[in-house]
Amino acid sequence: MPESLKTTTNSKRPQHGSIRDELEKQAWIQNPGLAHRMSKWQLNEDHRNTSWHQSARRIKSWQDRTLLTVIAILIVLFVIRTETAIADDQVWGLEMKSDAGVFTELAVNTDIQLAITGLVARVEITQQFSNHGSHWAEGVYRFPLPEGAAVDRMRIKVGERLLEGEIQEKESARLTYQKAKEAGQTATIVEQHRRNQFETRLANIGPGEVIEITIGYLQNVSYSDFTYSLRLPMTFTPRWEPGRSQTQNQVGVTSSAPLLVPANSGSGHQLKLHASLISSVQFAAIESRYHDVDIRQVEDGYTIELLNPDEVSDRDFELSWTPSLQSRPSASLTTFNDGESVYAQLMLAPPLADSITPQAREVILVIDTSGSMEGASLPQAKAALQHALESLSSDDYFNLLQFNSETELLFEESVPVTKSSLYVARNFISGLQANGGTDMAPALKAALSLPEVSQLMRQVVFITDGAVGNEHELLQRVAGDLGDSRMFTVAIGHAPNSWFMRKAAEIGRGSYVHIGKPDEVAQQMSALWGRIRLPALTDICVEWGDSAEYYPEIIPDLYAGEPLWLLARLPSEPTMIGLCGDLNGADWNLNVNGWDAARSGPAEDNLAKLWARKKIEALEDSLMFGADPELTRLNITGLALDYGLLTRHTSLVAVDKTPRRKHGQPQAMTNVPGLLPAGSPARLAGYPNTATGWLAQLLLSVFVLLLATSMLLFSSSHLPMTKVANFGCKTSFRELIRDFRAW
Amino acid sequence: MNLHQLLRRHWLLAAVSIIAAFFSFDALWIPVKAELAQHLLERAWLRTLEGEPDAKPWPWADTRAVAILEVPRLGMREIVLEGSSGRNLAFGPTLVNTGGFNDTSDRVLSGHRDTHFKFLKDLKNGDLLRLRTSKEIRDYRVSWQEAVDSREQQLLIDDSVDRLTLLTCYPFDAATAGGPLRWVVTALPES
Repeated sequence: MPESLKTTTNSKRPQHGSIRDELEKQAWIQNPGLAHRMSKWQLNEDHRNTSWHQSARRIKSWQDRTLLTVIAILIVLFVIRTETAIADDQVWGLEMKSDAGVFTELAVNTDIQLAITGLVARVEITQQFSNHGSHWAEGVYRFPLPEGAAVDRMRIKVGERLLEGEIQEKESARLTYQKAKEAGQTATIVEQHRRNQFETRLANIGPGEVIEITIGYLQNVSYSDFTYSLRLPMTFTPRWEPGRSQTQNQVGVTSSAPLLVPANSGSGHQLKLHASLISSVQFAAIESRYHDVDIRQVEDGYTIELLNPDEVSDRDFELSWTPSLQSRPSASLTTFNDGESVYAQLMLAPPLADSITPQAREVILVIDTSGSMEGASLPQAKAALQHALESLSSDDYFNLLQFNSETELLFEESVPVTKSSLYVARNFISGLQANGGTDMAPALKAALSLPEVSQLMRQVVFITDGAVGNEHELLQRVAGDLGDSRMFTVAIGHAPNSWFMRKAAEIGRGSYVHIGKPDEVAQQMSALWGRIRLPALTDICVEWGDSAEYYPEIIPDLYAGEPLWLLARLPSEPTMIGLCGDLNGADWNLNVNGWDAARSGPAEDNLAKLWARKKIEALEDSLMFGADPELTRLNITGLALDYGLLTRHTSLVAVDKTPRRKHGQPQAMTNVPGLLPAGSPARLAGYPNTATGWLAQLLLSVFVLLLATSMLLFSSSHLPMTKVANFGCKTSFRELIRDFRAW
Repeated sequence: MNLHQLLRRHWLLAAVSIIAAFFSFDALWIPVKAELAQHLLERAWLRTLEGEPDAKPWPWADTRAVAILEVPRLGMREIVLEGSSGRNLAFGPTLVNTGGFNDTSDRVLSGHRDTHFKFLKDLKNGDLLRLRTSKEIRDYRVSWQEAVDSREQQLLIDDSVDRLTLLTCYPFDAATAGGPLRWVVTALPES
């Protein structure tokens, strides 16, 4: 019987059968339903065949396919099995030796030009990508910039050509970049990933080639305790901050801290720095905190350069300069007029610390004793509380509150500082234990709604690890219930929710302290207590004389040594800016004459950009108070495009017109790592492979096994058989291979 | 038709069946080996506690039991091995740190997501993890859990920190091994 069947099938086959088979198989792959219809059509056409032959043919194609599929599955299983075995043979230790070679293929050196005029620094960072490999490369480099930097420029130098980058909406910038990259054009894109984390991508760097990207930004210098300072972050602290991701990609995976390598790994990262401090006044001292520098006085100020020519970017650069006593500013006003609006920057130094005396206040200490405070955090927090009690003076009132799932108040209402009340409080603190959940809302409510002690300023000090998920709601509550109280937040431990803590303090017109290590508790806490027991300037109001849009919107109290710093947009030049406030219970007033303002030239739109940057930050923050995300995104994008700023929704992109990489030449993507900070105790390792995939293998192979065995049994009981059976006896091996190919 | 004839006629089907059977056993062997090894390791661990310096779980073993990880809420108990190689991972969770437990306070354990560290997907924040080494018993509480991309992130070991980290592959129910994602559970010590 099989003989006769074989002749029938074979006689049908030669002319067009194989082509049709081919078609049918392809259709099967693409659309099983279609294949089914096709075989029906085929059956109708084969009207010469008997019905038995028809069904035999159908079985044949069905069984052929099954068998071939099954063999394919087995081959795939074999490949996966082998690959898993190879991966398993690698030992994952602490050194990334195998990967070090990859890192040196593409190196990035950094050259920084810094120009400081007054309170604004213009920084230009040149990243030099050198491709030491023999292939075209795309470099991806993550680098830090200071929070609040207004990034507005990018320039790329390919050979002798200079190309200016432009701000585009994020998605369209990506598209522009992607197109250029695929077309073989040299292109670059700079994106913001987190508040302080940026990424440069540079496509089509030829073998042996060097390409330079220059990124420019504006930054306000800091001013406190009569010293100006500027800090340029160079590397990321490799603190593992689990759960602190601010951006997420499509799989919900935290978008990636930057790769880091030790400084001695031969990975480049050379640093050059040139700073010019433009000033007509003499400085009492200029210091670089972490680098040896060469400082020279020149005609219009000072120049500062790094002494060590082989410096690498493994630590932050910090420059500080102190004006001599007579040239200390008490207030400074700068304006810029762009024809439509006037942008103003007002800086005001507070009165000296020794001119004010401590003032009685009501201190409410709130401590988080939830389960997440267990471990090192609670002892740190307890120590911080004991410090707080020590800093109280005899005129003060105080209270203590602990919360986890429950809220517990020590005294019904705040009590004066006496020996006995301190004794009770000390016992309360030492008896604290961490347990339960973090229900912060009732605790906030309880602390803020305590009966007031007349005339005293209420300071609420919140000590927590900030492990909260409902930040929106809590911040709204702080904003709603705060009244006249001030809120200070103290974050404890390695991974606090620092955004929440900082914002809560901002809304509460207080300050935020983060204590990462147990040995920092004493120093940080006494600094905080020392500062806040002196009541500085409070309830500050600013009268711009016109409708002004200014930031920060909530003006904080001015504690000793901290300046008031405002950026505003006004419809016209200010004539008089009136400041008022409360200093030690007395009214305080100051008028700043608009005519005294230093005016920046028409080309220097720095103030406009810095103002826009502040506004963007305020818009980002408004998301926490339930602002519509889409509307906010549009607002930010609009502002960023108007003022030419890089934000999370807008990127800088530059494309070289001439394609250089020929079609077909491959390009490898390389993540260029940053350097581990100097002195970091951390070591880095790759992640081990931690899956066997046994279940999938088992299910697949059992499936194949059942199928093959049943076919085997089926063929023995239902003879005659089709070609499947013939695979085993009559069909040659060559024919099998041919069928497999056709399939 | 007898078996002999059947095999001769359908050698291809027979071969497929045999190979499939091999793969089935090969796959099944992985969880069986994982379970079996833990029993042998348990005995070796007892010998370690009794003072035997280099107690081998089986004569040809090139690793040793260094700790026991317990999760009381889930009733889990796993013997932890030294050296995070693929071979060791087949027998139990392994210590990624080189140099043993005593040298480090930032301890990282890795395990297969479909054998020993399958339970990681059931962990909740606040769960107790108890680590018994030959010298001490430490309790940790799970405080963070997250997925990371191993192509873009490195494992950071920072001995200024006291914590226990459990690592496994992610997603938990992916069909094939070798994906780039990892699940990271961070636990901090209980005072």
